[in-house]
Amino acid sequence: MKIPQALWLVVSLVLVLSVSGCSSVAPWQRGVLAKSQMALDIYPVQSTFKSHIYNSREAVTGNSSAGGGGCGCN
Amino acid sequence: MAVIKSSNKMQIVVNKGRLLIGTAYTHLFGGQLIFASKSKRMAAVSSSLQALTAAALTLPGLMPLSANAAEEEASFLYGYYEEGSRNLSGVKSRFNPIAVNSLLGSSTIKLADRIKFAFNYAQDTWSGATPIATAPLAFGGNGDNGQGHLVGGATPYLVNNNVSFDRQLNPLSNSGAKNNQLVHTISSASPETRNQGDFKLGYEWDEAALDVGGGISEENDYHSQFGNMAGRWDLNHKLTQINLSQSYTNSNTTATLDHDATPYIWETSTGFNAFNRSNHDYQLTKSGGNTFLTGDRQDWRTALGLTQVVNESALVEAGFGFSRGTGYMANPYKAVELAYIAPGQTGNVLTGQTVGLLEERPSERNQWIENLRYVQHIKGLDAAVHFDYSFSHDDWGVNAHTFQSDWVQPIGSGWAITPKIRYYSQSAANFYTPYLVTIQSPTFIYGANGQIIGKQFDASKLPTYYSSDPRLSGYGALSGGITLSKQLVAGIRLEASAEYYTHAGSLKLGGGGEGAYADYNSYLVNGVLNVDLSSFSTAVRRHNSMSMMSSDDVEEDHSAHSMSANHSNHGNHGAHAPAGVMFSHMLEKPNDFMVGVRYMRDTQSGNILQGSTNVSDLTLVNNACGGNSKCYDTVRSMNMNMIMLDLMYAPTDWLTLMLMPQFVDMNMSSRALTGAPTPTFNDQMLIDHHTLHEHTTGGVGDTGMYAMFKLFEESGHHIHATLGMSAPTGSVDIKFRDTHGIDVGFQHYGMQLGSGTWDFKPSLTYSGNMNRYSWGAQLSGTKRLQNSNASGYALGDIFQSTAWGSYGLLEWLSTSIRGVYTVQGAISGAFNGTYNPLGPIDYTSNYGGRYWDVGFGVNAFVSTGTLQGNNLSFEWLQPVHTDVNGFQLPRSGALAATWSYVF
Repeated sequence: MKIPQALWLVVSLVLVLSVSGCSSVAPWQRGVLAKSQMALDIYPVQSTFKSHIYNSREAVTGNSSAGGGGCGCN
Repeated sequence: MAVIKSSNKMQIVVNKGRLLIGTAYTHLFGGQLIFASKSKRMAAVSSSLQALTAAALTLPGLMPLSANAAEEEASFLYGYYEEGSRNLSGVKSRFNPIAVNSLLGSSTIKLADRIKFAFNYAQDTWSGATPIATAPLAFGGNGDNGQGHLVGGATPYLVNNNVSFDRQLNPLSNSGAKNNQLVHTISSASPETRNQGDFKLGYEWDEAALDVGGGISEENDYHSQFGNMAGRWDLNHKLTQINLSQSYTNSNTTATLDHDATPYIWETSTGFNAFNRSNHDYQLTKSGGNTFLTGDRQDWRTALGLTQVVNESALVEAGFGFSRGTGYMANPYKAVELAYIAPGQTGNVLTGQTVGLLEERPSERNQWIENLRYVQHIKGLDAAVHFDYSFSHDDWGVNAHTFQSDWVQPIGSGWAITPKIRYYSQSAANFYTPYLVTIQSPTFIYGANGQIIGKQFDASKLPTYYSSDPRLSGYGALSGGITLSKQLVAGIRLEASAEYYTHAGSLKLGGGGEGAYADYNSYLVNGVLNVDLSSFSTAVRRHNSMSMMSSDDVEEDHSAHSMSANHSNHGNHGAHAPAGVMFSHMLEKPNDFMVGVRYMRDTQSGNILQGSTNVSDLTLVNNACGGNSKCYDTVRSMNMNMIMLDLMYAPTDWLTLMLMPQFVDMNMSSRALTGAPTPTFNDQMLIDHHTLHEHTTGGVGDTGMYAMFKLFEESGHHIHATLGMSAPTGSVDIKFRDTHGIDVGFQHYGMQLGSGTWDFKPSLTYSGNMNRYSWGAQLSGTKRLQNSNASGYALGDIFQSTAWGSYGLLEWLSTSIRGVYTVQGAISGAFNGTYNPLGPIDYTSNYGGRYWDVGFGVNAFVSTGTLQGNNLSFEWLQPVHTDVNGFQLPRSGALAATWSYVF
């Protein structure tokens, strides 16, 4: 594994473990988190369309989630 | 199940950990129609309770991938993407740049309490011109003859150009001056449509979920099938979520190499005509006059994501992905310009010639992606700011950074505005090269008549891999956009979005990007209709649970009760009409909404008819082309798919308004006519262009706007009139790409996407029902309000009459039988631009006719349960008798399918 990946993993893990250790958000304190504007992907259908366009015009194919699909390789 | 009564009389029903009431009350907060009579009281609900119920929505999955994603929903997207013109160093291309029309439909429903099923359909049609190669301007690869003339077609200017260099291999212009300026060679393609269908089946535990999915994507030249599996695990009192996914994609390329380009594109080591190489990841074969490139590839992708609640108003996600592709990874339509210089030349000027080579890419690519997302709520503004960064690197040498930020700002009354900025930068692949220069003389391969049919190069003097695809070059891209969303009545959300994108070598992070010749701008726009199906079913459950409430609660819930009762009655007046009948029913109550999707497929194939009689090819050659001797080919088959959105709203009980956008795609294949006269060289090229390729078109069709008026209604009988217009939003100027430098001109009349004229569309509908029987009849017409459209012609007027009967087998299932008679006039006028008639389909008198059909249909209407309000219908229309104007392909049948949902 190359250095950047290892670095990223370590940074991510440290970040997650550190915040999870100190965060304690009770269910009744999660109202803000449940708001639609707080969704990780706010407009998922648009994201599908835009990702397809980006993927067919840029060298990076797909994001970090595992999908699949066509080429559109004009 | 338990019922919890809160102090202000709100009721919360807990069922297996889900707070069912949550969604219904979420809509209450919007002051929605369903509970209009209670809106004032609900406005007073405390914000803390709102927060609590909203929070309840997130259980059991604390952070579903989208909190916007409802338990059950249907979405529909239309998107359009267009690139700006490329800089061809003063040469004007008369071709439009790449444009894409996209359609996405998706639906998620619950099959059981913990089982979800999602189905997505995507269609996009690509058309326009794109760079296929790059070369120094001095090579003349942009088609410039020194006079700034128009680029003359698909024929790439790649080959046999005499070129010269100085001793340092700098290109020299005609005047002998050093000129390193690069320029693209542009090639135009006829439209091509991609269709994709995929599904996902998911099971949810209290603290975990598993999805299994798969799908197929189909294009003329690229077939792809894929499967995936994803798991979610909630930890730490649902403050932490782990996502793991794996997918596998298998793709096959079967590209028809441009018959314009193949004579100019060569294989490196063997010469063009000796193309089969066993040690390669693709094969070239010749069949029926075409050259095909075939190749297979496999892609594996794994992703691991970790989402963490940071505090009450922030969350973070870190992800890591790895993908591995093997097999044919190249683009069959991209060429690399090669200048070859004979060795041993003396003097300061080296001369050579050019050829285009098929690009060569490694047959393996491993890519790693890391991404980080952070979402922060801004308390004072109730906004959310999103940061998203990802870094991707692969063993092709492409390192890419993507940064994106969105600011989601609710602005009241259900509106939200979201500005967005995105920056992307990538380094070039290590085998990317704008063009190649080699010092060697190829070995010429001669044909039987002594002509050169191949040039064999010494591959050891060339790089192993090379590509001039600008997408593998170093560049940056900056884009900005905005999305507006509006929550309408319960469960319906509209989104509109626009984005402008600038691709430039100078925007590359750290500099050193590709030259400005490769820069371009583009924009995309899209609109989304999202229907939250669960909002209604939750309200139904809420109604059903009222028996557990006290009497004063029930009294106050009359509005909900009547709403639910209305729903079970919806559609009695003609909703059970067969799927192929348009304008068959009105909405019953003021303020009712209906959302529906209508799909129609028409197929034509078989022997050509003259009137109602089969005729021979020779009859066609002699009679079907309006006295013109150029009667060379005819249609073998033609298919049309139409997807329409049905959006209905009833402002009063006697009026229903309807908006019907359409999306159309068509394909046709042709064959040569036996006994046709000997064509000229140019005509032969045009004939080949038709008979060797299937033609496709697709995009937005015409848009219908209608008003339906109730005329009569009494115990089981209903009559309404529909008056409306069809707006000419569909293209009527779709053209073929050029072939062999010939401007082929307009595609056939029947392949255009709309009528091009404003059309008046009245209809009169009667429907009746008694016990298990229902019946109906309709007269309808289409009158063109203009004599000709922008392309110079007008389709014929249409009159149709139909009558049907239906029998209810079960409470929710009925069958129907229908008779249809249609008459349509011939086309008037003719194309007012370049057009090359080659067969009967190109003559306006060979359009229209009289048609008799019988339809067989089934209709399912869900009146109870979680899917209440949904209606699904299918109908097959079988042609019984056809009497065409002139000479035409007979119809094979038509399928109609509709889904609708009444609120």
